[in-house]
Amino acid sequence: MIDMPDYNAMDDEEFRRLVHDWIVANYPQELRFPPERMHWEQCGDWYLKLAEQGWLAPGWPREHGGMGLDANKLLIFMDVCESYGVGRTPDQGMTMVGPLLIQHGTEEQKAHYLPRILAGEHIWCQGYSEPGAGSDLASLRTSAVRDGDHYVVNGHKIWTTLAMDANMIFMLVRTQNTGKKQEGITFLLVPLDTPGITVRPIVNLGMHDEFAEVFFDDVRVPAANVVGGENNGWTIAKALLGHERIFIGSPKFATLAMYRLKSLAEAVGLFEDPLFVSRYTALKLDVEDLGAAYRRFVAVLKRGGHIGAEVSMLKIWNTETQQRITELMLEAAGESAGVWGGVDTADGLVRPAGEFIGSRPTTIYGGSNEVQRNILAKAALGLPS
Amino acid sequence: MAALPADDHGFRLQVRAWLEANFPHELRFPTRRLDFRRSMDWHRKLAAQGWVAPGWPREYGGMGLSAYQQVIFSEELDRAGIVVIPNFGITMLGPLLIRFGTEQQKAYYLPRILSGEDLWCQGYSEPGAGSDLASLRTSAELDGDHWVVNGQKIWTTMAQQATHIFLLVRTDRTVKKQRGISFLLVPMDSPGITVRPIDNIGGYSEFAEVFFDDVRVPRDAMVGEVNQGWSMAKALLGSERILLGSPKLAKFPLQRLEALAHTLGLFEDPVFRDRYVTLAMEVEDMVALYVRLLEVLRRGDPLGEEVSVLKLAVTELFQRVTDLLLEAAGEHGATDAVLQLGDGSTLKPVNPYYLSRPATIYGGSSEVQRNILAKALLRLPG
Amino acid sequence: MEDISLQSKIDVLTEEQVLIQDSAIAFIAADEELKRVRANRFQQPGFDRKLWREVADAGWLGLLIPEQQGGVGLGFADLTLVLIQLGKGLTPVPFVATAVLAARTLARAEDPALVDEYLSRLIAGDWLPVLAWQEQRAGLDTAAEAVVCKADRLHGRKMFVPDAGGADAFIVSVAEAGGTALYMVDRDAPGLSLEFEQRVDGGFFAHLDFADTPAGPRIAGPEQGAALLAEVLDEGRLAASAELLGVMTRALEISVDYIQQRVQFDKPIGSFQAIQHKTVDLFILSEISRSVVLQSAALFDSETDARRRAVAASQVKARCSDAALKIGKDAIQLHGGIGYTDECNIGLYLKKAMYLGSWLGNASAHRARYAELTLGVAQ
Repeated sequence: MIDMPDYNAMDDEEFRRLVHDWIVANYPQELRFPPERMHWEQCGDWYLKLAEQGWLAPGWPREHGGMGLDANKLLIFMDVCESYGVGRTPDQGMTMVGPLLIQHGTEEQKAHYLPRILAGEHIWCQGYSEPGAGSDLASLRTSAVRDGDHYVVNGHKIWTTLAMDANMIFMLVRTQNTGKKQEGITFLLVPLDTPGITVRPIVNLGMHDEFAEVFFDDVRVPAANVVGGENNGWTIAKALLGHERIFIGSPKFATLAMYRLKSLAEAVGLFEDPLFVSRYTALKLDVEDLGAAYRRFVAVLKRGGHIGAEVSMLKIWNTETQQRITELMLEAAGESAGVWGGVDTADGLVRPAGEFIGSRPTTIYGGSNEVQRNILAKAALGLPS
Repeated sequence: MAALPADDHGFRLQVRAWLEANFPHELRFPTRRLDFRRSMDWHRKLAAQGWVAPGWPREYGGMGLSAYQQVIFSEELDRAGIVVIPNFGITMLGPLLIRFGTEQQKAYYLPRILSGEDLWCQGYSEPGAGSDLASLRTSAELDGDHWVVNGQKIWTTMAQQATHIFLLVRTDRTVKKQRGISFLLVPMDSPGITVRPIDNIGGYSEFAEVFFDDVRVPRDAMVGEVNQGWSMAKALLGSERILLGSPKLAKFPLQRLEALAHTLGLFEDPVFRDRYVTLAMEVEDMVALYVRLLEVLRRGDPLGEEVSVLKLAVTELFQRVTDLLLEAAGEHGATDAVLQLGDGSTLKPVNPYYLSRPATIYGGSSEVQRNILAKALLRLPG
Repeated sequence: MEDISLQSKIDVLTEEQVLIQDSAIAFIAADEELKRVRANRFQQPGFDRKLWREVADAGWLGLLIPEQQGGVGLGFADLTLVLIQLGKGLTPVPFVATAVLAARTLARAEDPALVDEYLSRLIAGDWLPVLAWQEQRAGLDTAAEAVVCKADRLHGRKMFVPDAGGADAFIVSVAEAGGTALYMVDRDAPGLSLEFEQRVDGGFFAHLDFADTPAGPRIAGPEQGAALLAEVLDEGRLAASAELLGVMTRALEISVDYIQQRVQFDKPIGSFQAIQHKTVDLFILSEISRSVVLQSAALFDSETDARRRAVAASQVKARCSDAALKIGKDAIQLHGGIGYTDECNIGLYLKKAMYLGSWLGNASAHRARYAELTLGVAQ
């Protein structure tokens, strides 16, 4: 275990500078603000550098190899990364599997899996959604049937982020067909090299493959790979969303989009057009207001409080603001709105079409905005079903 | 009626000239639309000219105008600042009688509508029957040679000045609700009728509640057969609803906005100019849709649920126009101030703003319209 | 796929129009899966030459050309019926660029012999010219500046010429003493190089660099060129709007179909009110667009005044560009996750809208032009 200072005891500004300086020294310049989700071949080295530094899992408790950051310091850490344009690695192991095992795993599971995440030996992807179970995830049908010491898994997962770069998958599988559908779901850990698994990359509208489909054909998985006990999967998976929700609401998408819009506008001379300035300003204010809303929720966390479903409003506002920003980008680009190539700016190439298309799925994944509004209607407004 | 020019442009100019010469200047662009009393003289002038019913067939005393000519006529009225509360006898009852009335009903009522001797209001909505109009409960029971009416109507525009009211009443409670409704014609001076004006957010009253307490109406005051009321009213809902979606709703405040903008020099601001033009273009787009739908009526074909498309789009545009009008008025938008405009007219910015608010509620709320359209036009389930 | 538009309910077509429309519907029905669109993507020339022949054989290339010049002599009201279907089918052919812009320019050529020689070949599908007029991103001005013609030699750069990789010739606007002239230039002319930009819909824009390139036959002299171009471009805007109408209509039809079938939470998602309202709003947008296209087509068929046509062209292009983009992106949202895959066809409609909506002036450019034309207030 790496010997780490007590970051939480540090002064906020000192901590911020520490993180910033190390990132500037170690994060590859050419990978700043990546336009698309990076594959392992691009960011694997960075992943391992983070691991070596002991900074791969800022939110994990120290006794499990994490930085043990409290909510306040964690937000500072994320903020520095986002501002510098640090892109995401295949991080499901750190953000989902690790915290879940820490809460619900057996000692053997913790001892086995956690170090391997930190070492970069296990790269995880998430097997939740299915073609017939998107918004209605509980209706998933990938089955796991007990056979002696194993479960036999059959089914089909989709939207598995970076499965082509992973060697492990964590899944929600159906182990019971009677009763409420949520009550028959189990959380299972599966090595991707198990016979019977096929990974098929999905090309998106941006002509990039970030997601994959994963097919399971009589895949035998040791029963010891169940986390939290049979038929308990739904509960523990949902609980995970707990305080992670705040990250769905981070203004990062919108802020980044604004940054690129500004670069584009400066390159094309749009700030001379008062009409553009007016629309740009309105969007800038939307982003500032989003920041205020975000900080309000963050304050709750800093106080040690709990945020509920109402944080959905951040996700809605964030993603829809991002879309409005990219729409203005498109409008400002004239015919370049219809090409993949970008416009040269002082901060590098800005690709209006790519930005616009890339903003489309944000209102779909992570719980579509329609579902988020339903949640808000009931949780925040108390409206009847 | 004098012969009208065959070409649209010539027709427009003729209408414009006549309006200019005949509509009193002091009544142009009033701060609130002219009610029945204040517009009576004008009605008579129009009647004398033969121009009081642009949409009626000529054989019934109307102008028999084409779809687009009706739009032109309406545009010229707006341009001249002629803003009156619609005459429901002209716009609603007349067409219904022309289509479904007996010869005696037509011969008796139509001329009186045209002359302005009878001023009609519409008794449809009730406190418990707004969006769900078919669940209305005002009843009419046959007693010898009379229908006896009991109940209450609400949002009855100009009930306080009307001489007559046409009603949808329940005549059968045992059947599916739409099948038990009839259409009745009732004089407002019938014993048992009480009118209670309702103030709007502008602080004045254009509509009222109307209470019916054992009001007796002769049998022949029913239009069509008993229990046929709903289908007749629906058949004409096309022409009523198309009026509810007339682009003039949005075009008129847009013209006032234009006049205000010229007075305040707002067109020098490129941001305002873009916002104004965006709305202006949307209004013209609505005209294209309106004319396309009106043409169907002119051919004599029925309009179905598709007319709701127009009402939805136009009323929401109406609100966006008055939003910009209020914004353009600056601090005046928060007061009852009456502004003097550069073209000599006056404007009270809050009035069109207030007027636009219920536009997405009356005549079928926007939410309900969307529900209906989803099923009727897109065949969506549920 | 069911036609949900209001056309069958409220519009009246002549018998001839019904025939034209039916043949266009049958034409695109041959590739409902959009296999040809995918086959032509991302490779030169970006469109299907074989399909172009079929379009020619259907008689559509000469639809707007007067009979005395070898065409069919019909109007925009008829052409829009074809264009709407081509838009629905995402048909990968440069119809607007060639059959409208280039053809209508040629039809106005000062030399009738030129017209006779080239138009007939264009109409037959044997010869494919493309108009090259634009010099700036988002430019609407037809007066040439960047490309000059001196001693019958062209110098300079034209931008955003669609589908140039498959063209046989270009009709180029050039600055000359006295104004803007139009010349034909062969694709293989010396000193002409093409720089391509990949379009999101799979086709290509080209930027044309002329270095001492010999000019071909003159189409219009410097006193006529700019005005001629302005007229033709406005016709092109109407045509592109009709194509956009087809794109948005089909995207909506596919989406309505999808939400009727896709089940989540034990119900078709099309039964949820929020989804219904959103879809209805898209439908309203499409019908308003349709109304404006119909009205504009009728105006172009009866009105010769250039200013009134320009006003109508800006109105219809602004509306259809906006609407197609809105419907295209909301169609993806209605499809949920699969809408964002390349495998699903729905994304192809958004991409076509991104191209057509921004070519020949996007919505905001046309709002600005409409303001100039109608408010009489100079920028």
